[in-house]
Amino acid sequence: MGSVARGRVRELMGEVMTAQGRALPGDDTADLREIGFRSLDFSELALRVEDELGDELNFDAPGLRRIATVGDVLDFIEQLQSA
Amino acid sequence: MTARRRTTALIGDDNTVVVAGKSLTWRTLRKLPQLPSPAAVLVDNGADALAALRHHAVHGTELLVATRSRVDERMREELGESGFAIVLPEGEVTPAKLKRVEESGRAWLLTSGSTGRPKRIGHTLETLTTVTGDQPPRTWLLPYSPGTYAWWQVVTISLTHADQGLVVIEPDELEEWPSIAAEHGVTAASGTPTFWRQAIYRDAEALAAVPLEQITLGGEPVDQAILDQLREIFPTARISWIYASSEVGASIVVHDGQAGFPREWLDRKPDPDRPMLSLDGDELVIRSPHHGAGLVGAVHTGDRVEFADDRVLITGRIDSDEINVGGSKVSAGIVRNVLMGHPGVSWARVFARKAPLVGRMVAAEVVPNRALGPITHADLVQWCSSRLPDYGVPRRIQFLDEIPQKETLKSEV
Repeated sequence: MGSVARGRVRELMGEVMTAQGRALPGDDTADLREIGFRSLDFSELALRVEDELGDELNFDAPGLRRIATVGDVLDFIEQLQSA
Repeated sequence: MTARRRTTALIGDDNTVVVAGKSLTWRTLRKLPQLPSPAAVLVDNGADALAALRHHAVHGTELLVATRSRVDERMREELGESGFAIVLPEGEVTPAKLKRVEESGRAWLLTSGSTGRPKRIGHTLETLTTVTGDQPPRTWLLPYSPGTYAWWQVVTISLTHADQGLVVIEPDELEEWPSIAAEHGVTAASGTPTFWRQAIYRDAEALAAVPLEQITLGGEPVDQAILDQLREIFPTARISWIYASSEVGASIVVHDGQAGFPREWLDRKPDPDRPMLSLDGDELVIRSPHHGAGLVGAVHTGDRVEFADDRVLITGRIDSDEINVGGSKVSAGIVRNVLMGHPGVSWARVFARKAPLVGRMVAAEVVPNRALGPITHADLVQWCSSRLPDYGVPRRIQFLDEIPQKETLKSEV
């Protein structure tokens, strides 16, 4: 399986936010609750990454973890791709 | 009973039937050799299907007629084991493996297969003739695949009523049917919403040139957007939608130009001549006088309904219509109706897509209306967001170049 670079995942995350009429801040420490990035948005981001990969992400592999910031999302997607 | 059927059938025998550009009548269609009975007549064109139907009407034989492409080898085997001789378009006859007494006058239909492999449903010419009484003179378009319930509905109008001509559209003529219809003065046409949408999408001007007085939709959920589009093109035509199936026959007929049917039609006082509509949960249940053989009583249709004010909307198949997004449920049919209501959308399919965290998400395929310029993913998300709960908004939308269509004129919705 190939991979989608972290910068590209950030762009896709920005597209998800824009489609919902919101903006993605440039700061990776931005709090997801404060910027309004919800579980549906996270799920959409995963689908966008899957569409670019042409493959499904394996969500069963990584252990559960707290995802609170933009950086956490990017880290998690990165981890999923290497799982 | 048999005598009455034959007399009724012959009323339309001199109606015009246009096939492959040639103007004939039922009586002057190609004569078939004496067909075996029971027979499964597999055809490659509409003219042969009509000839088989007339043969059945005149001789009272047991008949199943279908396009060759719908009946695969396995089904031919099954038909042979059930007593049917198989008649191929070239005239080759494979005798039945089981010898049995024919059911005189029995007409067999294959269900559309939306619930899996096609099933055989038994009818007669009488149970298939649901349009009765005096009809204004009309010329009907016949775009349906031979042997389907919708095909029988149109052909029985022509065969059993005076002044009801037919213009047969073969599969390779589907893309240009409006010009053929205009040439032959078609005044009435029945098609699926997908069929109508494609006609508008391809060339609305060519469609508007057809002198239609009666427009009928059926075979798929009918949404308000397609009814409104047709009303705009044909302001004076009667626009009807019909809920019909091989199992329960034509059971709901609505002429007021609105999607859905009035809520007061549910649980009405029993009347032996009128289908009874009721609900089991959110599933439509019908007791119909037009039912197929052995389907007397309540039939669970497998179709899901939702209420919208005083209307009951049929949103889609119960086993595929409901999408569970993280515990919140939404009807794919309702989402589709919202997408179809966008002026820039010609066609849409809505489905569930597996997604992390929420289990399933709503996704869609869309064919844009080329006449109205480009639309974007964001446009549609915004449109849906103001009309649907968050979890019902399609998050992944793929744009297609053309409307997909199956042989039954339905799309995969």
